[in-house]
Parts: sequence; structure tokens; C-alpha cells
Amino acid sequence: MDFVTWDYGADKIADNIKNFQAANSDITINHKGYGWLDYPETLVGLFASGGEPELLYSSDHWLQQWAAAGWLEPLDEHCPNIATYNQELAPYAQQGMTYDGKTYGLSYYADTMDFAYNEALLKQAGFDKAPETWEDVYTMSKALKEQGINEYPIIMAWSQKEGAFPEAFISMVYSQHEGNNALFDADLNPVFNQPGSAASEVLDWLKKAYDEGLLDPASLTTAEIDQVNSMKAGQHTFTIFPQYNMAEVNKEGTGDYAGQFKIALMPGKSHNTVGYVRFYAMTPKAVAEGKVEAVCKFMDYFGGKTNGNYEVVKRWAVENGLGFAQLPLFDDPDVVEAFGKWGDVPTIKQQAELARAKEGLTPWFGTWDVYARAEIHKAILGEQTTQQALDNMAAKWEELKAQG
Amino acid sequence: MAVGSSAAPSPVRGKRRLWDRLYPTLSIAIPFLVIAVFTLYPVLYAVRTSFYQYILTKPKVHPFVGLRNYQEVISNYYFTNSLTNTAIYTVAVVISVLIFGMVVALLLNTKVLFSHPLRIVILLPWAIPAVVAGLMWKWMLNSDFGLFNGFLYSLGLIRDYIPFFANPTLAKLSLIVAYVWKEGPLVAIFFVAGLQLIPNELYEAARIDGGGGWRLFRYVTLPLLRPIILIVMVYETMTAILVFDLIYVLTGGGPGDATAMISWFAYAEIFKFLNLGHGLALAIIIALITLALIILYLRLLHTEDTVS
Repeated sequence: MDFVTWDYGADKIADNIKNFQAANSDITINHKGYGWLDYPETLVGLFASGGEPELLYSSDHWLQQWAAAGWLEPLDEHCPNIATYNQELAPYAQQGMTYDGKTYGLSYYADTMDFAYNEALLKQAGFDKAPETWEDVYTMSKALKEQGINEYPIIMAWSQKEGAFPEAFISMVYSQHEGNNALFDADLNPVFNQPGSAASEVLDWLKKAYDEGLLDPASLTTAEIDQVNSMKAGQHTFTIFPQYNMAEVNKEGTGDYAGQFKIALMPGKSHNTVGYVRFYAMTPKAVAEGKVEAVCKFMDYFGGKTNGNYEVVKRWAVENGLGFAQLPLFDDPDVVEAFGKWGDVPTIKQQAELARAKEGLTPWFGTWDVYARAEIHKAILGEQTTQQALDNMAAKWEELKAQG
Repeated sequence: MAVGSSAAPSPVRGKRRLWDRLYPTLSIAIPFLVIAVFTLYPVLYAVRTSFYQYILTKPKVHPFVGLRNYQEVISNYYFTNSLTNTAIYTVAVVISVLIFGMVVALLLNTKVLFSHPLRIVILLPWAIPAVVAGLMWKWMLNSDFGLFNGFLYSLGLIRDYIPFFANPTLAKLSLIVAYVWKEGPLVAIFFVAGLQLIPNELYEAARIDGGGGWRLFRYVTLPLLRPIILIVMVYETMTAILVFDLIYVLTGGGPGDATAMISWFAYAEIFKFLNLGHGLALAIIIALITLALIILYLRLLHTEDTVS
């Protein structure tokens, strides 16, 4: 079977495949990796040309679109163990793998967007506590800049190609909003462009931070790898990134500030954040070619349980610091010990409990989000007002929704 | 008997005549077939598809929509924006590359030391694939560790590293510089070839008449290079309008939509917004714009020939 992934942890994927094949000598897996930044475009190209694999990585970001197009096959209709695994999943992850009431994936990794800061630099600026609101972040950033500790205290990985860009922005909106419907109402009508909305407050805040030289202008072209490296170098104090990066920034011997990076609950009124899920999915090709049984074995091994344990998911968590959706793993001593090396486990757990799936996950979400990235950029750059940007985003949403 | 048998056409001759008759047809048919399969069919298919709603995520629904795809893309804000960006970019790079090429060609045409090996070495940027050239510039202009920023900083010209790709104006300028660096050498070589065709006697006669530096260039070099300048303009205009790889690597159309050219817009419609109908309508529009410009240039070239 062909198995397509994005290019993260290729060696570990290969090793996991080797172990799986050793236990299932009748199944051969051909693994192929594509770049993360172009992954959705590459996969759409494969689907459209009929060159899709039987197995692949997918994300809550694209599930609705791909499932609506008939490019993915519901797993719960074929693999009997999926329902059992679902009972142990974090709700945001389960929601992110569900389309039209059916489960389309089994998670290998689920995470939250976290607010991270460099404790050493913050202390140097005279602050002993992490920021709790966006106003705190602003005040502290001003102090960091004025004292010459950072030229730009805040960095974001908001290159238009960066998949985590919208997730970071939505996290800020969630944290500034109490309850549900931060972006859309129950009928999927946009509410984010209403005057005084959390999105409006966040965009105004970003514009102010950019204009006053607190937000690094390079944020608009920065991808996640550069973001992590510049944090490690102490060039910035605050950022938002997927939590698994904490293991990397705090890895011993990787920089002067290793061990100094902490997670704070997402600043704002509610401290809510985005929880997202990446998962294994199956295409209709596997069904057409009679490979369903092999797919289910693959799912059990890679995203499910082997000998009663989530072995592969746990391996990613312990060795790479990847987050997970399988709640029992939070109590696993090995996981707790591994996570404790780079993070504060109670805060990680608390932030996970405050995580929500992205609102508006529909077949047109992926298209809308690409459009929204440029609009957010233009608002930050001052090429249009923040209200114009939000109105344009709302208009695009309505247009795509009408198309269905 | 012998006469009778000699009157009948020999099988070898008959075959030969048949081959002679077929040869011209086959000679044309084979390349025609190749062109038809690899060029005509895709173009015709693209034209046909541009009249249908073709959204990649709706693989089973492709209703005929006539000119609606064209109407929708033309009325889109991004069309106007990308067309404006493309026009500014094209004018800027064509003028820059002509000036750069001319200056370098004039230098290479003098009898300076190493001018012959330099003519070969200077072609290197042109020989480098656009994606690699783009990556090189991306590293050189990087806002954290870029060579160019380091150079400016060491000279004391800047206090902080400049985020070239995060500023709309600087991002556009960076694209222009990268393009000129990549394309300029080829233009220079064209001009060197043109300069070597100008007879020395013309310069000598002009000098006897009292002409010097600028006047020689203005009244001898430039008029005689005009056909080459026009050819270069046609080629560089087409290349600039169709530029994609440099944008893809350097700016991704951003920040915002500051460097989104028309070809990038077509790519985004197909691969980001997954609307093949829109993307192909745009591709046809780009082809028509390019065709119109080529016709215009060719007419200018024809007029030039007639005047000559």
C-alpha cells in the first residue's frame, strides 16, 4: 500500500513502518513524503489526477473538503475498532476527524496552539509573572523593547504558506472571546466582523503591535522552523506555536536559553485556544483494491492500540514531544516524565482542556482560510483597515458558503 | 518478350514512387501529430474547460457556464490587483534588464583584461534554474541571517536587519533585483553579439566627424542595435509576464497580495482555491495578453526592418 505523509519525522515513520511490516509480513508499505507547506496542493493534485495513495496523513483543516469530494473513505464503516478508540479521544480531536457524522481518521498527533515565552528575558525586563491578557503582552513587549532586550519582542510564523498561521490567529480570537461562536453563529453566518468582536480586537491589537515595532515585521514571511530558531536564539520573547515545539526549544544543548521557555495559558479573557488534530486516513482506492483488512491493521498499529497500549502515538509523544488526542496517555508515567522535561504538565493539561476545534470546519474552510491569510496581512500592513479586512473575509465566507 | 516485361513497372520502382509521394505527407504528419498531442490538445482542452464550472473538490459536477468563469475572474479584485502588479513589474524588469544588459555588454566589448572568459562566466546566473536562483536570493535577503543584511550592517548603513520580503515595496524590489540578476547576463550576451556586428568603419567615420563617447553610442551603437533591442524586449516581456517560480520561492505572492502577479493568481485559483475553471480562464487571458503584446512588438520590428 502507498502511504503519503508530510515531511516530519521521516526516519521515525520509516522505523515504525519497518516494525509494522515485521509484525505483518503479508503487508508492504511504500512511504512517500511531501513538503508540509505544499502538502494540500500536492494531495489535491494527486486526487484530481487519480494518483492518490491508499493511506495518507490528513488534517482537520482539509477533512471536510476532501471527504465532501469523495476522496476519503469513512473509517468507522470498515474498521471495527475505531468506535472503541473514539471513546478515549479529546472532544476537539474527535470533532476534527468527523464529517457528516462519520469518522474519517485515527489520530497520530493532536495538539494545542500555545502561548510561549522566554522566562529569562522576561525576568531581565523586570517581570516575574507571565502575561495574562493581551494588554499585558503589549506592556511587557514595550518594556523589553525600551530596555533593548529585544528589537522585536513578538514573533509569529505567519508566512502565507504556513498552515499554523490561521490556527494561531484563531487562538488569539478564541482567547479574547467567552464561550462558543467566536467566528460564526450556529448557522455558520460570520460574526467575527461585527463591531467590537474578539477578531476585531485582536486584529487591532496586532496592527498596533506591528506599528510600534513590537511584532517582528518578518512574521509575515516567517515559517515555523525559522520562528523556533529565532526564539531559541533569544531574538524574541513571545510567540504562539504548536505545543510540540516546546520540546525543541527547551532541548538541552540547543541554545543559551534551553530550559527557559515556558507555556502560559493563552492570554485573553477566556484563555481558550485552538486544538487541532492530524490523522491517518484511507482513500476509496483501498476499498476498490480490496485492501481494507490491511488498512485496519495499519490503523490499529499506528493510531490505535498494540498489546493494549497506544504504542506508536506514545512513541511520538515521548521521543518527539508531540501532543496527542488519546486522553489515557496523559496519565502514562513515561509521557508525564518526558513532557516534564520541557514543559509544565499541569499547564499543558489545563490548556488542552481549554482547547476548542476550529469553528466553521466545512468543505470550504480551507479555501476561505487561504483567502483570509492575505486579508490579515493587508490589515496588519495598513493597506486596508482592520474592519475592511474582516468584512472582506466575511464576504468571501458568504460567497463560498453559497457555492456549497 | 523481353520488351513486354520491361514495359511493366518494376516493383522496386513502384515502391519508390509510392514512398516519394508519401514522404512529404509523413514528414509533415509526424511533427504535426507530436505538436497536436503535446500542444494543440492541451490548449484546446484548456479552452474548452474554461467554459465549464470545474471545482476540483466537486469532481462529479461540471456544468457548462459559458463565459461566467471569465466574467468572475475579471470582476475579482485580485485580477485588477495582479494585473497592476504584473504591469509595474514587467515595465520595471524590462527597462532594468535592458539597461543592465547594455552596460555589461559595452564593458565586455571593450578590450579589457579577461573580457573573453568573462563573457562565459557572466552567463552563469542565467544557466542556474530559477528556483535555485530564487532560493539563493531568499537566503541572501533573509531578515535574520541574510548576507546582504550582514553586508549593510557591517558598513554601518543599517541599524537593524531589514525584512525585505515583509515590506510590500521592498518585496517588489527584491523580485525585480532577483529577476535582473538572473536574466541580465543573457541580454548582455545578445548585445555583445550585436555590438560585434557593427563595422568599425562606422565608428571611425563618426570620430572623424567629431563624434565622441555618448554621441557615438546615441547615433551609431543604439540605432544599429535596435532590432536586437526589440527581440530582447519581446522575450523579456513574455518572461516577465509569465514569471512564477521566483514569486513562488521568494514571496509566495505576499506580503498581503503585494507580489501576486497574474500568473500567481492563476496558480492560486487552481491550487489554492481549487477552481480549475477560473484558473484556466485566467491562463487563456494571460495567453491573449501575451499574444497581443507579441503582435505589437512584431509590428514594430517589421516597421524597423522596412525603415532599415
